[in-house]
Amino acid sequence: MGVSPAVSPHLMVPGAKAPPNASVNAKTLAILNNSRATTPGEGTADLAEMMNKDVREQFVEGKFLGSGTYATVYAGHFRADPTKLVAIKKMRILTDYKDGITMDSYREMKFLQELTLHPNIVRLHAVFTSKDQNLNLVLEHLPKGDLEKLWRDSSISYTREDIKAWSAMICQAVWFCHENYVLHRDIKSNNVLIAADNTLRLADFGLARSFSEPGRPMTCNVITRFYRPPELLLGATHYGGCVDVWSTACVMAELAARAFFLVSETDIQHLSVIAELFGIPTEADWPGVSKLRHWEVAFGSAPPKRPQPLSHWRQRLPLMGDDGIDLLRAMMTMNPSKRLTARDVLKHPYWTNLPRPTKKENLPHGGDEDAEKKKAIDDLKRRGGDLETGRSDKVARKLDFGVK
Amino acid sequence: MSRAASRAPGANKRLAEDGGASQSFLSSSLRKLSLQQSQQHDPQSASRPADSSSDICNVCKSSRYLNPNMRFLVNPECYHKMCESCVDRIFTHGPAPCPIAGCNKTLRKAKFRTQTFEDLKIEREVDIRRRVAKAMNKEESDFERLIDYNNYLETVEEITWNLILRIDVDETERKLRLWEDAQKAELNPNATFRRIADQPEASQLSEGSHVVLKKGGTQRKALAASSGNTPDPFAVDESGKRDTGFVFQGLKKRKAPPAEKPFDPFDGWSIEPQQYTLQEVHDYKWLTAYDSDPAYYVGGWDTRDYYSRMMEEAFGGMCVFLEDEKVRPLGSGSVEIGTQNAASVAQGMKDVVMDDVF
Repeated sequence: MGVSPAVSPHLMVPGAKAPPNASVNAKTLAILNNSRATTPGEGTADLAEMMNKDVREQFVEGKFLGSGTYATVYAGHFRADPTKLVAIKKMRILTDYKDGITMDSYREMKFLQELTLHPNIVRLHAVFTSKDQNLNLVLEHLPKGDLEKLWRDSSISYTREDIKAWSAMICQAVWFCHENYVLHRDIKSNNVLIAADNTLRLADFGLARSFSEPGRPMTCNVITRFYRPPELLLGATHYGGCVDVWSTACVMAELAARAFFLVSETDIQHLSVIAELFGIPTEADWPGVSKLRHWEVAFGSAPPKRPQPLSHWRQRLPLMGDDGIDLLRAMMTMNPSKRLTARDVLKHPYWTNLPRPTKKENLPHGGDEDAEKKKAIDDLKRRGGDLETGRSDKVARKLDFGVK
Repeated sequence: MSRAASRAPGANKRLAEDGGASQSFLSSSLRKLSLQQSQQHDPQSASRPADSSSDICNVCKSSRYLNPNMRFLVNPECYHKMCESCVDRIFTHGPAPCPIAGCNKTLRKAKFRTQTFEDLKIEREVDIRRRVAKAMNKEESDFERLIDYNNYLETVEEITWNLILRIDVDETERKLRLWEDAQKAELNPNATFRRIADQPEASQLSEGSHVVLKKGGTQRKALAASSGNTPDPFAVDESGKRDTGFVFQGLKKRKAPPAEKPFDPFDGWSIEPQQYTLQEVHDYKWLTAYDSDPAYYVGGWDTRDYYSRMMEEAFGGMCVFLEDEKVRPLGSGSVEIGTQNAASVAQGMKDVVMDDVF
């Protein structure tokens, strides 16, 4: 293949077989999703409705899973094959976006359709609208929770090999995004989900955008604070893939420490937390840093500060090993142009050094194991022939003394 | 307390009676099953639970009637039953001979355990079967033909019964050990086993210097030495093959799993431009101006990102051939969908005029 798979003009989304069209309109979305549409635009409104209905009816919506600021997620499955589970993400309609699609659902659709090929990026099966033009994204069902839940769960123990395996998967996902000129801009352990086969999936492309053209400023108010790199905190409006690399390093360090790596209450405080660890950048190692917007507020009058020595890192992240710490420090260089790119990250000797990363089938995971166990116990408690749900579930059983 | 004391003997008595009955039934069936009747004396007779003696320790004669918390333990070396306090008393200070008269086995405290089955004969048989099954763990797929597998199973059963009925125990044990070692060596060809290093010592051991302290390798050596003129276990015969104890026809040679490839951080993916080469600097005045603009370079914005993207987008659709699309396995999706997609793309591209791309 001469070009990256993601930009080749076909799609792997089963429901959406026509190439994505830039026109953002709920009606045309239906056309996007339909295999019979060869050229978008020839469909009339009625045809579009019909096509949308076709897609919608491929899926059966199940029980409520959870809700966030922008969306509510339901479980579901393919109508044709009930064993194939999906998660249906219903985007909320925001009041100020009455007559269009919200920015984040647009971004999520646009970038996931391109990137969904990679095994470490969440799969988007289809998109359809339900009544009152509500957008539904049909995503892959990921039952095992996210990375943050995993490191928080003290009943799960994991080793440096596991950390290496997980980190490699995250870095691959980030690399793939960057190779296709997409910045994720919200990498955090909360957004890294675990699939049924223990592979990690980078999810939530609601803040993603493509690399900027010169002359077009980007917002510096993205990325969850704990994972936000110093250049964004200082107010840079032109940046590149380096912002994601910093966030990725934060996630890796978080996995190794089993705690958030850089913790703060406010943005300004976060800068001082970073400075505590990495020192205050100087014009020598980060040319032009003092010209950034928030420099004066943050470090204008602060005395110079040296970065923490290697021993501090060793003590804080014993699970990373020396090569891992070297990689993390290179990924968290203050000066973004000296920071490793996602491609360089994967070329670091840390990955090929011993110990070898765990195979994905051997990775520890929490997930729904407990739920399964509980269900097995419930199954055992039930009398033979009883079904799980029924009208008489709550009613006390009639005692049967075997007297006929 | 008194309730427990009064109830326990009764319950146990019933159990003992059951056990005794099933034992006699079993032993008669064993005799029917075996073609050769074992002539050896049966050490089990000493510990065979009599109707009421199962509650009395054969060593200290204390009875459960007086001490309801009494526990009986057996040692798989000789299966003589004794109470926990006797085990503590006799074996705490190291290995000692079995206190039952006529039994010369040396026992260790660590090996004592509670019996699972009331009938000690069954207990012993289960132990032997477990051990043999662990060593002889071939499956049908390991053999070329079904008959080979059946022959193997028959040999396994023969070994088991030999051990249970004490026929040719030494020879069978020796063969079984050789087989175990051969299996281990096959699984892990690079490992060196302790016995190889100890080999000369083993041959020096004579019948007279037969040690009572048996543990691990020493035990095996002692057994090998005591079983008379057994050949050296690791002797290599003329054909250069090691004695594996048993030879099974049609047993497939175990294939070593292929060596693991070094870990690939890119997981097989590679994205390299092929229709064009990127230069380190593309010299356009309007573009290079951004290189020196602090508003851009301070935040890590890189002109190289920009022009590699521009090149990619200019060339992105080229060299996508239908044939390639068919062959390439697409992610985890099926090839069918891929070709469908490719076909629909091709259909869509039919009416695109390709004459003046530039």
